[in-house]
Amino acid sequence: MQSSMVNRSRFALIVGVGAVLWALLPVLASRHVIDLFVFAGIYTIAGLGVSYLLGQCGIVNLAQSVFYGIGAYSVAYFTAQHGLPSVVAFVAGATLSALIAFAVGWPILRLSGHFLALATLALAVIGQVLFLEWDWLTGGTLGIGGLPKFSLFGWVLSTPQRFYYLVWPVAFLAMWLNYNLTHSGNGLAMRAMRDAPDAAAVAGVETHPLKVQMFVLSAILGSLAGSLFAHYVGFISVDSFGVDRSINFLLLAVLGGVHTTWGPALGAIFVTLVPELLSRFGEIHAVLFAVALVIAVVYLPQGFGGMIEQRLWKKYAP
Amino acid sequence: MNLSLFVQSIFAGVSNGFVYGLIGLGIAVIFRGTRIVNAMQGEFCVVGGMAAVLLLDHWGMPLAFSMLCATLLGGLLGIVLEWVPVRALHRRGGNEDGFLLLTLGVAFAISAWILYFVGRDSRALPGLGGEAMLVFADAAIRVHAVWLIVISTMVMFALKWFYSKTHFGLSMMAASIDADGAATSGIDVRFMRTATFCLGGLIGGLAGVLVTPLTTVHYAMGLLLTLKGFAAAILGGLTNPFGAVLGGVTLGLLEALAIAFVSSGYKDVIAMSMLIVIMILLPNGMLGRRLRKGG
Repeated sequence: MQSSMVNRSRFALIVGVGAVLWALLPVLASRHVIDLFVFAGIYTIAGLGVSYLLGQCGIVNLAQSVFYGIGAYSVAYFTAQHGLPSVVAFVAGATLSALIAFAVGWPILRLSGHFLALATLALAVIGQVLFLEWDWLTGGTLGIGGLPKFSLFGWVLSTPQRFYYLVWPVAFLAMWLNYNLTHSGNGLAMRAMRDAPDAAAVAGVETHPLKVQMFVLSAILGSLAGSLFAHYVGFISVDSFGVDRSINFLLLAVLGGVHTTWGPALGAIFVTLVPELLSRFGEIHAVLFAVALVIAVVYLPQGFGGMIEQRLWKKYAP
Repeated sequence: MNLSLFVQSIFAGVSNGFVYGLIGLGIAVIFRGTRIVNAMQGEFCVVGGMAAVLLLDHWGMPLAFSMLCATLLGGLLGIVLEWVPVRALHRRGGNEDGFLLLTLGVAFAISAWILYFVGRDSRALPGLGGEAMLVFADAAIRVHAVWLIVISTMVMFALKWFYSKTHFGLSMMAASIDADGAATSGIDVRFMRTATFCLGGLIGGLAGVLVTPLTTVHYAMGLLLTLKGFAAAILGGLTNPFGAVLGGVTLGLLEALAIAFVSSGYKDVIAMSMLIVIMILLPNGMLGRRLRKGG
């Protein structure tokens, strides 16, 4: 009993210190570092969808760049070209992403394993080409610039510091949502479906509709991240929404650990900060980053989140 | 649309299709032997093509010798890939997705390494038979493309023979299907896994050497080749050597007809949409009966 109390207070201490560090970071760090952390936050939101699908449902989703793009272009279309408020763009992007995810997810989620991965990859390629070809809407390779800054009740998020305090709470909210989902009845059903599909079906789990629901949810997170990204950078072009972006989301999910709620945040920080740290070694930094990636995959099969949970959580968690 | 243009696009589709097929063949070989989806098969091609260019241009080796060395280098790279990262992850009990990401990471490393040492320029390689053309029905096809088709077909039949008639090929299959059973009957399973990657690397290197004269080679082309090759292998059924080539030619023809009838911009949209439709309608691939799992 006593030790449980001690553990609980230590756990609270770790969380408290983490929260203070998080809150103070924009005050202490340089503008460049904060900028990277804002991107990490945006990638966390999109990566959470990918991570959740892989960890809980066993679905490899390489189509996240499509929904990320839809969210971003929605902001460009509604705010920059039609002068409507950001909220309209966020909602429109998320709605469109959800509809597309539903329409496409229904047929392709009947596939499984590598074939499903290939189908989502094919979607990413289709999205990339359409973003390029429909240049009347997307501006093609030239892109669309001059997107207005995001403002919340008259408070304009014009600096990385301010945006940091918007992006990360959204990311934490998404994590909290994922945590609740994992620990709900649906979460249990999904894990059953992932580990023993036939047994789950016999036990009365409607596997296919559940997979489609989760795919739609992942797409909404992707779209939300894309909308935030568009507002933050103020200029978007097709280069940001290619297949490589999808691969990046998958990488950060796996690096962070797909079975943990907060792993994607660590993965996102890794893929944004590590290339920056390595860039002091000059041109070779891309090779070093790839090697670091291979080492992380080999030595941390559960990802950073999984490793930390195994080592520390058991010791300090309530 | 006149006849010669149609025949011309068929030629282009078939020769591209054999390239995809050859890459798909490499992916299928490695999948058959180890159940690993190798996301760096396209990188074998880039390394093979680049090595042939450097041997020819910098060291003045004869073309055929450069091509042979580059193919062998692909095989060597396959061995190194199995020895170092794949074996390390295998010992730690990596799962399907782990190996996929591992090979993806190695692909990034190789691509970045080529960018660092060779630069971002596209390099060209003369083809077998030079720039000579064959003409049918007012449509031309390069002699090199014919060589590509002939060599790929030979590789396909050789693999079929290797897997069904030779002791080595049968042992390789046994090691993949039931590792413990194979080990009890005296098959060196680890060696078979290395040999599988070596074979996949050789096919990848060969594909690189054969594709470079048609398209040139640059550091970033590996991923797209892997994607197309993977699509080819899946379309045909991952476990059948004929499947990958048939799948590749189907994909190449779809693309070529999309270019001819719609527009070149939409070729990937049409090819990828067809790919999704075929996967849903033919869950066992075009040739596999119950050989393909997961559809």
